Amino acid sequence: MAETHAETALIFQPKPARPAPAAASGPVAWMRRNLFSDVPNALMTLLGGYILFVVVGAVLDWAVFGAVWSAESRRECLDAVGRAGACWPGVAEWLPNMIYGLYPKELVWRVNLGFLTLLLWIAPLFMPRVVSKVNIGVSAVLLFPFLASYWFHGGEMGLLWRVFVAAGIWGFVWVWATALSEQFAGRPIGQTLLAALGAEDAADADQRRILRIAAALLYVAALALTLAWRLEEVGTRLWGGLFLTLVISGIGITFSLPAGILLALGRRSDMPVISMLSTAFIELFRSVPLITILFMFNTMMPLFMPEGTDVNQLLRAIVAVCFFAAAYMAEVIRGGLQAIPRGQYEAASSLGLGYWRSTQLIVMPQALRIMIPAIVGNFIGLFKDTTLVSIIGLFDLMSMARAVGEDTKWLGLFIEPFFVVAMIYFVFCFAMSSYSIGLEKKLAQGRDRG
Amino acid sequence: MAFARQDDDARRGGFRPGALLSDEKTRSITFQALTLAAVVALFWWLVDNTLANMAARSMSAGFDFLPVTAGFGIGFTLIEFREGDSYWRVFQVGVLNTLLVAVVSILFATVLGLIVGLARLSGNWIVATLARAYVEFLRNTPLLLQIIAWFFGVFNLLPRPRDSVEFGAFALNNRGFYMPSPVPEPAFDAVLAVFVVALGGAIALQVWAKRRREATGRLFPAVRVGLALVVLPPLAAHLALGQPLGWNIPALKGFNYDGGVSVPPAFCALIVALSVYTSCFIAEIVRSGVQSVSRGQREAAGALNLPNDWTMRLIILPQALRVIIPPLISQYLNVTKNSSLAIAIGFPDLVSVWMNTSLNQSGRAIPIVAMTMAFYCTVSLFVSLVMNVYNRSVQLKER
Repeated sequence: MAETHAETALIFQPKPARPAPAAASGPVAWMRRNLFSDVPNALMTLLGGYILFVVVGAVLDWAVFGAVWSAESRRECLDAVGRAGACWPGVAEWLPNMIYGLYPKELVWRVNLGFLTLLLWIAPLFMPRVVSKVNIGVSAVLLFPFLASYWFHGGEMGLLWRVFVAAGIWGFVWVWATALSEQFAGRPIGQTLLAALGAEDAADADQRRILRIAAALLYVAALALTLAWRLEEVGTRLWGGLFLTLVISGIGITFSLPAGILLALGRRSDMPVISMLSTAFIELFRSVPLITILFMFNTMMPLFMPEGTDVNQLLRAIVAVCFFAAAYMAEVIRGGLQAIPRGQYEAASSLGLGYWRSTQLIVMPQALRIMIPAIVGNFIGLFKDTTLVSIIGLFDLMSMARAVGEDTKWLGLFIEPFFVVAMIYFVFCFAMSSYSIGLEKKLAQGRDRG
Repeated sequence: MAFARQDDDARRGGFRPGALLSDEKTRSITFQALTLAAVVALFWWLVDNTLANMAARSMSAGFDFLPVTAGFGIGFTLIEFREGDSYWRVFQVGVLNTLLVAVVSILFATVLGLIVGLARLSGNWIVATLARAYVEFLRNTPLLLQIIAWFFGVFNLLPRPRDSVEFGAFALNNRGFYMPSPVPEPAFDAVLAVFVVALGGAIALQVWAKRRREATGRLFPAVRVGLALVVLPPLAAHLALGQPLGWNIPALKGFNYDGGVSVPPAFCALIVALSVYTSCFIAEIVRSGVQSVSRGQREAAGALNLPNDWTMRLIILPQALRVIIPPLISQYLNVTKNSSLAIAIGFPDLVSVWMNTSLNQSGRAIPIVAMTMAFYCTVSLFVSLVMNVYNRSVQLKER
């Protein structure tokens, strides 16, 4: 038995190897797998390719190859190519208006400077060694608007406004001092300052006193600066275009997050009165369209204020947008709060944290992180929705685009400005959503690893 | 000792002012009382200001203007409306127009969204990419811009009635879209009666088939037989009675089309823009719904040797629908709210004829704003009620 077994076992006949697959990687295999896997799929590919070819071809023909690039009026464009090609000179002539509205040409630098300041303000957020990113972000939200309000509006500053504008200047200096100190010296601005003054070894109380005096001195200097600062007034009726769109949506976004957090906490509160009031506010503003809210504030706000108060139309629109955005944000944040397991609350209270401390340290950071995509989606929606202010007569980007076709020189030129405006909105919104997807992935990495 | 005494005080109901902020229960009452007082004071202040302002401008807040003649015409109405009709009639016209736009857009958006959503899931790279480009471009641009672009860029540039685009009995020109309208003759009532009976029979058949399946496990092609039952007998009756349904076909007479039903260009632009815009969001909802069903479900169905269409119908869809329906309904609600943008292109919806024209004409800001908001709140409350019932019925039944 053993011998026969050995005999058969010794004769080893390998099976011939299977032929290598035609191609498992590379463009040909990719095309075979994704485009031509079977007959219906191949037909779909051909049809899709045809649609792509026709659409892209038509857009390119209209916007690039068949377009008119220099003309004096729409008549000239029509004479040259008819409707087959775009008429860009009209858009080019109106582009400054589409960006700045009726803001005086010689003062446009103030708008640019305002947005440059914002970019500089948040630039430290992208420096790798800066640790006070949260404080810098919060200061950009809370202090920058005061500074920007004066850049944009100018005119006579009342005492209260002066105090806040000075706080804005103070904040800007603090942000960059902190950023530079942390990026290059690797320690907080306080320590750098103490080292520079040679007070590193002083008692704690003395150190604190020195820092407080430094901050106060800086504030006094900022206040002195505002006294010397005098900008020509530009009334909000002259604000318009992309600039106005960014102002309204910026304020709406800034306001909606804190207000939404408070409303969401209020709705989930154990106190019946608070919960009822929050719920009523949220449901009322969520169930009616934004345009009715805008109309309501536009017609009713003058009635609500004491007699003789003049409520600026821009302010009415901003208040309406803020209330609307806060109600929507509240529901998003409530969704996040509901997703936090009960154990988190119980663990927080077993550590002896009170309501506000556990909300701030344990619950809210988790809730906000889960809801990042929804929050950014809300911001995008709000940014798009600001176009509605054009209906109540503000000159935002949308109404400026419409105005091009009503200019006698460019009468009937609608498609081209709309195309440009659509592209502007697309770039902003797509950038926001891509950033949020990136952020979400980055945060998920951290969580999945732990 | 001190603590014990405090507890005793509290138990005896002794009052210490400090307890207003330190004791948990009293503190909550303090906060609520303060909030309520602040809100009441705010409202008091607003109402007081409003009354003073209204007195100064000799305005009135009553609803007594409703039966008064509105004195303006409306371009598109579902119910009869003449220039001498009352404000109350204007409100009705506005509500119906808003609902019409919402319903039609919802239908188109659902079909389009389903197609695009399935295209996004396609294994074919070109089809999936095209669908993705469609979704990304359209949902990242404002709806108002799209509505105005469709109106000024497409429907306003259509040829004059004389050179309209005709396809069969339909015609499209810069005055609107023209469709044939049905003209029933008296004998058509009999056809309708047959249809109603057939429909009742089909429903009874479904119930019977379901009961038999649950009792015996035997299947009956109830859907197909039911469809045949609904379609064939009324069709036979229609033919037997000599086709008692005529069609009023629009035809060019003089400068414009006459006959049939027509909708203005603003309506077409609104419907197209709303459907296309909403279809992007519906497509994403459909995609995420189908993707939310775990792979194992499909594999398990395969292991049971279920055919593909059964897998889809019995395994994937019921689970996907549970994820799809709630956001889908909220999109429908959004369509209803977004239809208010009609005002930008002059379509007479509720906001346009009521909150804009009527408000400017009558000056009754408060009742008009209140009625408009009440309408939208009612729709939204009704929809969320339906939603809650549905959610309860599809919730995972865990034991």
